[in-house]
Amino acid sequence: MPQFSFEPVVMPPEALKLRQEVRAFLADEIQKGSFTPAVGSMVEGDEAFSQKIGAKGWLGMTWPKQYGGGERSSLERYVVVEELLAAGAPSLCHWIAERQSGPQILRHGSERAKTTILPEIAAGRCYFAIGMSEPDTGSDLASVKSRAVKTDGGWRITGRKVWTSFAHRAHYVIALVRTSGTPDQRHYGLSQFIVDMKTPGITVRPIYNLYGGHDFNEVTFDDVLVPDDMIVGGEGRGWEMVVGELAFERSGPDRFMSSYPLLAEAVDEMGPDPERMQAAELGRAVAHLATLRRMSASIAGMLNDGKSPVTEAALVKDLGTTLEQEIPEIVRRILPVEPRGVGSDNGYVDLQQLAQMQCVSYSIRGGTREILRGMIARGLGLR
Amino acid sequence: MSDMRDEMLRTLDRIVEDTATTALREAADEKASGGGGAKGDATAALWAALEEAGITAIGGGGEDDVSFADAMELVRRAGYHALPVPLAETIIARRMLARARITAPEGAITLAVPGAGELPREGGGMLTGVIQSVPYGRAAAHAVVATEGKLHLVAIHDAMMTRGTNMAGEPRDVIDLSRAKVLASAASPTAIADLEAEGALVRAVALSGALSACLDHCLTWVGDRVQFGKPIGKHQAVQHLLAQLAEETAAAGAAADLAIEAAMVGPRRFEVAIAKARAGEAAGKAANIAHATFGAMGFTREHILHYTTRRLWAWRNEFGSEVYWQAEIGRIAARGGARKLWPLLTGELERD
Ligand SMILES: Cc1cc2nc3c(=O)[nH]c(=O)nc-3n(C[C@H](O)[C@H](O)[C@H](O)COP(=O)(O)OP(=O)(O)OC[C@H]3O[C@@H](n4cnc5c(N)ncnc54)[C@H](O)[C@@H]3O)c2cc1C
Repeated sequence: MPQFSFEPVVMPPEALKLRQEVRAFLADEIQKGSFTPAVGSMVEGDEAFSQKIGAKGWLGMTWPKQYGGGERSSLERYVVVEELLAAGAPSLCHWIAERQSGPQILRHGSERAKTTILPEIAAGRCYFAIGMSEPDTGSDLASVKSRAVKTDGGWRITGRKVWTSFAHRAHYVIALVRTSGTPDQRHYGLSQFIVDMKTPGITVRPIYNLYGGHDFNEVTFDDVLVPDDMIVGGEGRGWEMVVGELAFERSGPDRFMSSYPLLAEAVDEMGPDPERMQAAELGRAVAHLATLRRMSASIAGMLNDGKSPVTEAALVKDLGTTLEQEIPEIVRRILPVEPRGVGSDNGYVDLQQLAQMQCVSYSIRGGTREILRGMIARGLGLR
Repeated sequence: MSDMRDEMLRTLDRIVEDTATTALREAADEKASGGGGAKGDATAALWAALEEAGITAIGGGGEDDVSFADAMELVRRAGYHALPVPLAETIIARRMLARARITAPEGAITLAVPGAGELPREGGGMLTGVIQSVPYGRAAAHAVVATEGKLHLVAIHDAMMTRGTNMAGEPRDVIDLSRAKVLASAASPTAIADLEAEGALVRAVALSGALSACLDHCLTWVGDRVQFGKPIGKHQAVQHLLAQLAEETAAAGAAADLAIEAAMVGPRRFEVAIAKARAGEAAGKAANIAHATFGAMGFTREHILHYTTRRLWAWRNEFGSEVYWQAEIGRIAARGGARKLWPLLTGELERD
């Protein structure tokens, strides 16, 4: 019977050394006041910080040196990502570009895309957004209606994307559009384009989220010209590209660490001498985190070996986001808040409330829980 | 995976197929309607086959022994097969004895972990005290017993015993140590905690095997059972249940691996705590999903599912239930405070 295996990985000594280096650097940055740890690094972006990380060689670590990379292992990259999240560092700017768009371009982009874009991402200067969803296209991605038509030397894109995170600060968006066929032909005829956000015809309008934050946007394309060599993987291979990048998008520590800074904060609020049930609630979260770390590192190992563990990644994301969403509840069970509860003077309450409001999105972005479970079921041979 | 491991696991599978019939399982089950386990030697043939294959004599770490990781794979597979014999106990007991430089006897060896407030006392080469819930006490000639600061090998065949069982009908006997003979002792400052942790480790590993079995049972069933004109596995709601079962199975497996690996290199109680807490939680969820999936058929004595699900419930309690280990993890985390939480998770703090 099919079951999923998460082979153990051994962290190489250089990864362990790197961990200490990254940790010391981040502690130093916090000390210097260059950032305040936040929940969900995915919501705080600081260009200067991303550039510092880039200068350290901690972005695009696994890419060839020729494209600005460090030719290091996925496991070393894993360690850096984890440390950034644990410290609540403001990593949003480079996040999508480094996690997903860069690897995609490296594997399937044109030589010009690789030489002009990748070194900039690795330097922490170039940011990306993902243009998949549309007003009538959510989980059912194959139904996209945005279209590109062939012209001399390129393509002209027309359509509307929504929920496009970070589009208002990104230099490029990778847009999934139809280049041939009709929506009922599903996976056939879709392509991905790297679109320069400065191209005439693009309009970005903010969509504020439930707590008033500005993370995602509506992006409209009105006859936007994209050169031929900015297609990823060739015409008609968009679906394949989307599926391929999911293993990168879904398996990382950002899929279970978002609420970590809140959990850490709750530990101090609780104090060194908890009652049994408080300790057990905390201990349960720690046991889950430890297990998820291991599974996620195992996937990093598989990626390192050139595999594409898409289903395993879906599995880790579902377990991981479930925990991320639970943490605001767990800390509520550990600590009373009102009246005369804890943390009214040190930001703990604000942190809990922000995490609470953010966490509902964790099981939606990057593929909903139901879609992930469908993929797992397919992996089990049920579909 | 080593060739030796492969071969050993195949041998176990073959023995199970030949010997561990439903009739044997039923006879071994103390909770059977016909009073099953009254036929005390129901599992003798199974144990003999395992013994003959050399599977019961591993764990001591001798020269021609399999690796610890291989031994734990055997425990996992025995859990998968829901085997009604003290194989896990024997393997881990042999390991503990080897580390205490006590020569292990042949045959089944069990673990006798004192409960809170019932610490056995030692005096004049004798132990006094009563220990509850000793796995397969009646079938094992020997037990590893811990007292304050000491680990002992004790002959228990003529000890006074009160028979009991766990939820799965596995023997869990009450043993009065006063008539048991101490064969060897070794000083060990953490004997009691170690014995408990070793027990928890093998239960976590066995749980991970039992979870895999649960998933396999369910996958087969949802392909066979037809409702509304199609196999129930084609209904999305059922698919999502099994996806969650696969998640829990994978998580328990990873948690068990983490503890096995840690146990190979050094201090391990913290990792055992994680494994037992996580695998135990997975077990509860998995049993619920399996029973939901099987409908009424899974609630019958006749169907074999309960050999696995009752073990999930029983084993998650034994050697410390989730709340026990979670609280231990939580207290360690709380003592360290927020700044040490992350180094604790990444394995850079001394924890034991
Ligand atoms: C914070 C955030 C950031 C995002 N950033 C981006 C981004 O940068 N780029 C981008 O392209 N998109 C982005 N998204 C969009 C995200 O990818 C979609 O929200 C997601 O794919 C789901 O689509 P939907 O919201 O239209 O929900 P729908 O697809 O309409 O789903 C609604 C509900 O129906 C369920 N459902 C749908 N189909 C099925 C089915 N076949 N079986 C069972 N249940 C089903 C879903 O699971 C869900 O519960 C973001 C979303 C959020 C919340």
